[in-house]
Amino acid sequence: MVEKLLEVKNLYTHFFTEQGVIPSVNGVSFSVNKGEIVGIVGESGCGKSVTSLSILQLIDKPGKIVNGEVLFNGEDLIKLNEKQIKKIRGNRISMIFQEPLTSLNPVFTVGNQISEAIRIHQKVNKQQAKDKAIEMLRKVGIPNPEKQYYSFPHLLSGGMRQRVMIAMALSCNPELLIADEPTTALDVTIQAQILSLMKNLIEELQTSIIIITHDLGVVAEMVDRVVVMYGGEIVEQASVYDLFENPRHPYTQGLLKSTPKVHELEYELESIDGNVPSPDNMPTGCKFHPRCPFAMDKCKEEDPSLLSVGNDSAIKCWLYQDRKVVQV
Amino acid sequence: MRKYLIRRLLQIIPVIFIITFVVFVLVYMAGDPVALMLPEDASEADREALRAALGLNDPFIVQYFRFLLDLGQGNFGTSFRYNQDALPLVLERLPATFELAVASMVVAIMMSIPLGIYSARKRNSFVDLFITGGSVLGKAMPNFWLGIILILLFAVNIQFFPVSGRGSLLHLVLPAITLGTGVAAEMTRLIRSSMLEILGQDYMRTAKSKGVNNGRLIYKHAFRNSLIPVVTIMGLQVSQLVSGALITESVFAWPGLGQLLVQAVNGRDMAVVQASVFVIAILVIVINLLTDIVYRLLDPRINYS
Repeated sequence: MVEKLLEVKNLYTHFFTEQGVIPSVNGVSFSVNKGEIVGIVGESGCGKSVTSLSILQLIDKPGKIVNGEVLFNGEDLIKLNEKQIKKIRGNRISMIFQEPLTSLNPVFTVGNQISEAIRIHQKVNKQQAKDKAIEMLRKVGIPNPEKQYYSFPHLLSGGMRQRVMIAMALSCNPELLIADEPTTALDVTIQAQILSLMKNLIEELQTSIIIITHDLGVVAEMVDRVVVMYGGEIVEQASVYDLFENPRHPYTQGLLKSTPKVHELEYELESIDGNVPSPDNMPTGCKFHPRCPFAMDKCKEEDPSLLSVGNDSAIKCWLYQDRKVVQV
Repeated sequence: MRKYLIRRLLQIIPVIFIITFVVFVLVYMAGDPVALMLPEDASEADREALRAALGLNDPFIVQYFRFLLDLGQGNFGTSFRYNQDALPLVLERLPATFELAVASMVVAIMMSIPLGIYSARKRNSFVDLFITGGSVLGKAMPNFWLGIILILLFAVNIQFFPVSGRGSLLHLVLPAITLGTGVAAEMTRLIRSSMLEILGQDYMRTAKSKGVNNGRLIYKHAFRNSLIPVVTIMGLQVSQLVSGALITESVFAWPGLGQLLVQAVNGRDMAVVQASVFVIAILVIVINLLTDIVYRLLDPRINYS
């Protein structure tokens, strides 16, 4: 029996702007088992970042979690007060972000920022925090960590900065790491280094990961299970093997087709027609129907629900609703 | 840092030369001082004799170099009005001016930092509206008016503070509030907008995701960043205060540099005008230098080279 570390149930996060309510995340449910790496995939604006920020209640005004549960070891994080959630943040669940330059405070040294995270959550003195921070810097492969401890973020390269972010995030041995597009802003060669670094570290530290990305290469490289999001909803869930082998949802199929493949010499790179619908003007029925090659009349009128198709997979599409399936 | 300082200090030298030239030209163009120095019934021959004695008939360039030479010995000439050397006259006014400038800055900082931060954190709330509205009012009130109103309220109606002059700490309160209010108003708006920008930065979210508490989030992570643009303006404000708050010093009869300068200009006491302008210019240069140094200490991204 696998143990569930995190279980997001029916999460709704909406933004209450002057132009109206924007439903960025609309009834999202998924779970992360202990030691598992889950990928959340989707185009920009599909709600994947908002979902990840909602887990730690990091949604700023005018955004608000309007409904749902985020069960972490059985405890609902949404019900926690400020003081309680702060004990979780950076300690038991930590995050790394897309742009390592802007994610580090420019006026403090990287060492200062890492030891700050350590001192918030652990009863250690300044020197112990510093030693631990240097040890973390060494672990993430930063050369000469005793010296780099005193570096300001702008003096480091993009890859080094992301290593610092990883060192900071893992400094308190979190049970779950949420990585929001951790390699998007980096060069391709650096991307591979960062991914393999993350992979090695989490094996060592036994951390589970939610990795948010639009890069299917990252998914194939890292992830055990994939959650595909579209328009603030989950449209497909499957193991990574299943997803690449047998993509069910037309959107997932489109995503896979629009990824360049190196080993096929002659093929045309396809793209999904149309644009991501803007969250304040969602289509009726299935949100994907204006761009779907298989759209039927039913798709325009009624929204399908996410149904389990066995094998730990689930799909939200009318093409699969007539099968004998169980609702999740 | 040391190299940078040395370079900046060397840069001051040509600036000082330019200032001496401007100061000299100002007075040279202001007209014939002899008319003021002699009684009205003096004959043309007497005037001519005095001009010759003072070297006023020499070519411009000769007069300028004589001025520079005197300056090198700290000699700005003699004040007609006080009948003593102009430079010591100016320098003895500096403590009063500094006292008022420091007190006004303390008032301004104590008001603007909490108000600016608070209104940024409570953006668009009623309190924020009140603070931003108040800062417009504070900036719009002219110093002479505010000074007179404060005197009327707190020195005449409620006779708690002295009406004017310098001496005890009580003397300092009303002029410092008068000057500090305008500065505080400007700084409050600046801190608010700077803080708002910083609060939306990615690194604030990172800090929050580490579990940093709110106070530390604001006062450690945001405040230092938000000070970077504020310090520049603060430097300008201090320069203004140190150059003598002409109007406020007049209203409160505060014996500072501003008051001396106004009196000297009115009395065409040119030696004092020259000495004041020169001293003020040096002060402004020094404050600019200090501002730049603080700026660099706050923001490690700025290169010293």
